[in-house]
Amino acid sequence: MTNIVEVNNLTVSFIVRGGNLLLFERGGGMTDVVNDVSFNVSEGETFGLAGETGSGKSVIAWALVGLMKPRSGSIRVLGKEIDFRKKADVTYLRRNIGIVFQDPVGSLNPRLRVKDIIREGLVAAKTFDRREYDKRIAEVVDLVGLRKSSLEAYPRELSGGEKQRVSLARAIVVPRKMVVLDEPTSSLDVSVQAQVLNTLKELKSKLNLSYFFITHDINVMKYMSDSLGILYYGKLLEVGRTYDVVTNPKHPFTMRLMSNVPGLKRTKIQAQEERLTEQGSSATGCVYCKICPRVFEKCSNSPPMINVGSGHQAACFLYENVS
Amino acid sequence: MSAETDLLKVSGLTLDYATVDGRVRVLENVSAQINKGEIVGVVGESGSGKTTLGLSIISLLDSPPADIIGGSIIFEQKDLLKSNPTELSRIRGPGIGMVFQESLAALNPVYRTDTQLKESIDVLQRAQSLSLSDKAEKEMMVQILSDLRLDRPEWVLKKYPHELSGGMRQRVSIAMAIVERPKLLILDEVTTGLDVYVQNRILNILKDLNRRTGTAMMFITHDLLVASQICDRLYVMYAGRVMEEGKTEHILNSPSHPYTQKLFAAIPQGFVDAPPLPAPRGEAPDLRKLPPGCKFNPRCPLAMKKCAEVEPPVFETEQGSKVLCWLLEKP
Repeated sequence: MTNIVEVNNLTVSFIVRGGNLLLFERGGGMTDVVNDVSFNVSEGETFGLAGETGSGKSVIAWALVGLMKPRSGSIRVLGKEIDFRKKADVTYLRRNIGIVFQDPVGSLNPRLRVKDIIREGLVAAKTFDRREYDKRIAEVVDLVGLRKSSLEAYPRELSGGEKQRVSLARAIVVPRKMVVLDEPTSSLDVSVQAQVLNTLKELKSKLNLSYFFITHDINVMKYMSDSLGILYYGKLLEVGRTYDVVTNPKHPFTMRLMSNVPGLKRTKIQAQEERLTEQGSSATGCVYCKICPRVFEKCSNSPPMINVGSGHQAACFLYENVS
Repeated sequence: MSAETDLLKVSGLTLDYATVDGRVRVLENVSAQINKGEIVGVVGESGSGKTTLGLSIISLLDSPPADIIGGSIIFEQKDLLKSNPTELSRIRGPGIGMVFQESLAALNPVYRTDTQLKESIDVLQRAQSLSLSDKAEKEMMVQILSDLRLDRPEWVLKKYPHELSGGMRQRVSIAMAIVERPKLLILDEVTTGLDVYVQNRILNILKDLNRRTGTAMMFITHDLLVASQICDRLYVMYAGRVMEEGKTEHILNSPSHPYTQKLFAAIPQGFVDAPPLPAPRGEAPDLRKLPPGCKFNPRCPLAMKKCAEVEPPVFETEQGSKVLCWLLEKP
C-alpha cells in the first residue's frame, strides 16, 4: 500500500511569553505543542487521531495543510518532501490535501452564497477551466448530499449538518488525495452526525480518498478509522491498527482512555473512589509519568516508540524487553 | 407517587416564545416528575426544549419572549408559576440550583474562584441566617472543592476562570451550585465538550454527591450514552414534547418509541468495516413549521396514515414506560 502522507519526527512550537500556556508553567521561550510525532497515512485509508483537549491534534492538522510551519521534522506528500519555505511546495501540499474545520459557523464566509464558497476552492487551485466551474460545483454538491436549492443560500440559512457538508464540498471540489477532518461532527446532533459519517464513508470509497480524522469521541473514532494514533500533550503515545489499539491497548494512558468509553452495553456508573491526581504533563521524561499508575525509575527518560505487535507501537518503557 | 417522595412535579407545561417572526410553541403539554434523591435525565437533540424546560423550572426564563400558556410546576407543594419574585429568589439556590452549559460564560471572568464561591456562600448564609467567619468560609470552599476531587483547592481558589482547564471550570460551577445545598440540582449539558476521561470523572462526582447528600438531579444532555450511565429515569424529548419516559434500563434495553430507537441506532458502534448507520432521515424539525399529527412522522420509518393526521396520546407499556406513539395503541 502506498503512503499518501508520511510524517516523520514532526515538531511544532509556539512562542510563549512569560510561561503558563495551559498547564505548562515554564518561563518564556518556545513550547513544543507537537513533539517528535511520526505516522503514515496510506492510500484509501483513514488515520484517526485521538487525544484530549489541548493535546495538539488541531496543530498537526494545521501543519498538514501548511497553516503552521514545523520547527523540525518532515512531511512527505506522495513521496515528495515539503519545504515549507517554498511557496510552490506549500501550494503542492494544499492541492493534494483539503481540510474541514471543526466550527461550521466560523469556517464559512457569512457574506458569500454556498456556490461562491465552494467556487473559492476552485479559484484557489487554478486547475479547472473557468467555464467548467458551475458544472463541477453541481457535481460536488450532489456528491456530498446537499440539495441543489442550497446553492443559492447563505450559510446562516443552513443547518449545522448542511454547513459541514458545504465545508466538505469546498474541500473536495478539487480532486484531492487526502482530506483533513478536524472534529467534523462534534457540534452536530447524534442523528445528523450519523448522516454525515455515512456520507464521509461513502465518499471515501467512491473517490478513493484518504482521511486524517480528528475526534475526541472514541466511538466515532472506532467507526471511522483504519489506523489510530493517541496523542497526549503533543506526544504520540501509541499508534497501530484501530482494532488492535482499541481491543488491546498497550500504553497506560490508552488503557485508561479505552476503559472510560461509554458504550451501550456498559452498566451504570458506580460512584467509585478515585485517587488519580489532576492531569498534567511532565517536562522531562515520559509526558505521562506524573499520573501514570505504573511509573518506575526509567520513566524519567523519554521513551522511544517500541514495537508491541505488527504495526502497533507504544511509547512506553514497560514493553522495552518484550520486543 | 405519594406526596412524600415527590420533590418536583411538572404537569401539562405549555410554553411559547413570542418572537418577531411570531409565536413559537417550544413546550407542549410537558409533564415530568422528580422524586427525592433521584437522578432524572432529559435527553433530546438541539431545539427539543430540554434547556427551556430546565430554565422554566428554576424560573429564569425572560418573559417576554417566554410566555407560559398553561400547566403547573409544583416544587415542594408550591406552584412556582404562581409564586412572586421574592419567593422565587428564596427558592433559587437553596431549593433549586442550576449548573449551566458553558462554564466559561457562567463564571464571571474578572472574579477569582474564591470571590465567585463567596457569592454563593452569602446566599446560603442569608437563607439560613448564618454568619460565618472568613476562616470558616474559606474552609467551606476548600472542603467543597476537594469533595469535587480538585487536586489543589487552595491553588484553584486564587485562579481566574481563564486560567483553569475545562474540567476544573465545570467543577467550580458545580461547586457554586452545591455550596448552597440545593434539594434539586439542574445540570444543563455539564459534560458536553469535555474529554471522555474528564466526563467520566464528573459523572462519578455527581453520582457520589447524590449518594452522600441525596440531592435530586435533573440531568439535561443530548448524549444518550452519558445519560444512561448516571440516570435512574429518562425523558426523551422531541419538538417540545416528551416522546418517551421510563426507567433507564427499560429504555436502554427496549426503546419503544421509533425516535428513541433511531437515537440509539445513530450512535456509532463497531469498527471501520461496520455497515452504514441507520440514521433517521432529515434534521431536527423547525418549530415554526411542525407537521400535523405526530411531530416525528416525516422522519419515522414506521409511520402509518394515522400518524400524519392525529397526534398520539400517551400510551403506557407493560414495563411502565409512557410513550407518545400510535404503535402502542392496543387494538
